[in-house]
Amino acid sequence: MSTATHAHSQAASSAPRPVYGLIAEFENPGDLMHAAEKVRDAGFTWWDCCTPFPVHGLDKAMGVKRTILPVLVFFAGASGTAAAFALQTFTNSFSFSTWAVVKVTGYPYLISGKPMMSLPAFIPVMFELTILFSALSCVGLMFLFNGLPRLFHPLLQNNRFRRATNDRFFVVIEARDPKFLRGKTEAFLRTLGATAVEAVED
Amino acid sequence: MSHAPQADFSSKNTQLGPASFAARNAAVLGVIAILAGVYLGKSGAFNTDTRTFWKMYLVAFLFGLTICLGGLFFVIIQFLTRAGWSVAVRRPAEALASNLKWIWLLFMPILWMFFDGTAGMLFPWADLATMEANDPSMAHLVAKKAAYLNANFFIIRAVAYFAIWALLAWFFTSNSTKQDQDGAMHRTLSMQKWSGPAAILFALSISFAAVDWVMSLSPAWFSTMFGVYFFCGCVTGGYASLALITVRLKRHGLLQGIVSGEHLQDLGKLLFAFGMVFWAYIGFSQYMLIWYANLPEETGWFLTRQVGGWLPVTLILLFGHFVLPFVAMISRWPKRYGVSLAVGAAWMLCMHWIDVYWLVMPEIPNDIGTFATYDDLVATYGTQANGLDNPLNYILTVGVALLVFAGTAAYLRGRSLVPTRDPRLHESLSFENA
Repeated sequence: MSTATHAHSQAASSAPRPVYGLIAEFENPGDLMHAAEKVRDAGFTWWDCCTPFPVHGLDKAMGVKRTILPVLVFFAGASGTAAAFALQTFTNSFSFSTWAVVKVTGYPYLISGKPMMSLPAFIPVMFELTILFSALSCVGLMFLFNGLPRLFHPLLQNNRFRRATNDRFFVVIEARDPKFLRGKTEAFLRTLGATAVEAVED
Repeated sequence: MSHAPQADFSSKNTQLGPASFAARNAAVLGVIAILAGVYLGKSGAFNTDTRTFWKMYLVAFLFGLTICLGGLFFVIIQFLTRAGWSVAVRRPAEALASNLKWIWLLFMPILWMFFDGTAGMLFPWADLATMEANDPSMAHLVAKKAAYLNANFFIIRAVAYFAIWALLAWFFTSNSTKQDQDGAMHRTLSMQKWSGPAAILFALSISFAAVDWVMSLSPAWFSTMFGVYFFCGCVTGGYASLALITVRLKRHGLLQGIVSGEHLQDLGKLLFAFGMVFWAYIGFSQYMLIWYANLPEETGWFLTRQVGGWLPVTLILLFGHFVLPFVAMISRWPKRYGVSLAVGAAWMLCMHWIDVYWLVMPEIPNDIGTFATYDDLVATYGTQANGLDNPLNYILTVGVALLVFAGTAAYLRGRSLVPTRDPRLHESLSFENA
C-alpha cells in the first residue's frame, strides 16, 4: 500500500504538481481580521478565510458582497403561492372538455356547499406551498452557490490546515487569482503576521 | 469579532433634556381632549347616540391600553429568553409598560356604568330585559352565559386584570430603575425568575380582558381565537410605538453609539413578524374556521363587517395591515434606517387603531341570520355607515394618546434612557445581526 503510493508520487514528481494556493496560519481571530482587511485591500479575488467558528464582522473585513439568495427565495416562494393556486383551481373547478383532444376534468368535489372556486379554502395550501418552495429553494440554492456537495478539496491534504477545525485561523489565496505570484504573495502573507505560510498542491 | 464598544453613557447621551412646552402640557391637553370628547358625546354632538359614544370611548381606551400592554410584553419576553441584544432598547418599552400603573383610571367611566345601571348601553348582556324585548332568541342564548357574563364577576375580573398589569409593570420598571443605582445582579436574576409566571399571567389576563371588553360587545358571538387576536393587536401597537420612540430619541441626538441600525433592524423584524405576518395568520385562521363551518351564530360577526361602510374598512385592514407593509418591510434595509422604520411603525400604529375600531364598532343586526343570499343582505344593510367621519373618534383617541405619551415621556425623563448597569448591556452594544 505505502509502496504503491510512494511509487505513484515519484512518478508524478517528474512533472511537479500544480499549486492550488497558499495558506497562511493565524493564532487568533483578531490577527485574521486584520490580515483579511489587508488581503481585501490588496485586491485579491480568489481567496477565503477558514475558521473553527463563525467570526462576526469577518465578511465585512473580507469585503464579501451580500448574497442575492433572499431575492431568489422570495420569487421561489411567490411561485409556490401561484403553483398552489393553479393546482387547486384546476383540480376543483376546471375542465377542458370542449377543446381538448382527450377530455380533461379536475376533481370537482362539493364541500359544505361552498363554490368550487373558494379562495379562503385554498389559502392554507397556498401558504404551505409558499413555505415549502421557499425552504427547498433556500437550501438547494445555498448548496449550488457554495459548490456543494463536494467530497474532496485540495486543502484537506495539508496537515497544518487540519487545525482550521480546532484552534487556528487561515487565509487561503488560490493560485488562479490573477494577482497570485508564488514568491510575492508568500512574502505578502508573511508581512501580515502569519505564524506559518505553506503552499498546497492541487 | 465583536469590537469592544466605548459608548458614551454621560447624561448628554442618555438623558432627556427638560420638557418642551408641548411635552410639559401633553397630559393637561389629553385630559382636556377626553373631557371635551365625553361632554360632546354625552350631549349628542355630531349625531352621536350614547351607545356609539361609549364604544368610541372604548376604542380610544383600548388603543392606549394595547400599546402599553405591548410594551410590557416586550419587557417580560426579554427576561424570559435572557435576551442580550435588547437591553439598549428596553427602557422605552418599560416606559410604555409603566403607564399600566395609572391607565385603569381611564376605565373608571366604563366601570361606573355598572353602578349607575346604564351598562346595558355598552354591554348588551348587562341588560337582559331590553335584549329580551328586542331579540328573544339572542336573549335566550346570552342568558345561558350569565354565570360568566354578570356585572359582579365582570367588575371583579376587571379589577384583577388592572391589578395584575400594574403589579407586573411596577415589578419590572422599579427593579430595572433601581439597578441603575446599585447594579445588583440579583435584580436581573429575580426578573428572570419571575418572567415565566409573569408571561402566564399576562397571557391569561389579556385573553380574558379581550373576551370581557371586546367579544362580549356581541354577546351571542364567540371565537376561541379572539384572545390571540387581541394579543396580536397589543404587540402590533407596542412594537410600533417602541420603534417610533427609539427612532425619535436617536433623531434627538440621544443614544448615539448605543442604539445602532442592528437594534432598529431587530425592532423592525419583530414588528414585521407580529404586526404583519402573525396578524394575518391568526386573523385568517379565525376567519376561515368560521367561514367553513358556516354556523349562523358565528358568521354574523364577519358578515356585518363585509357589507356597507364596513367592507372598505375590512379591505383597508387586509391590505394596509398585511399586504402592503409586508411587501414594503420584507427587505433588510427598510428596517435598518430610522426614517423608513419610523414610517412603517407609524403606518402600523394607524392600522392598529383601525383594527381596534373594526373590532369594537360594528353592530350585528338582529336579523342577520334571516337573509337568503348575500345580495339580500346588501340590499338591506348596504348603506350602513362605518362612522369613521365622526370627529369624536379622533378627539377621544388623541386625548388617550396624549396621556400615554405624557406618561411615557415622564418615565423616560425620570431616569437614564438605557439600563446603564444591566449585566447584559455590553452584549447588547456589540450585537450584530449575523
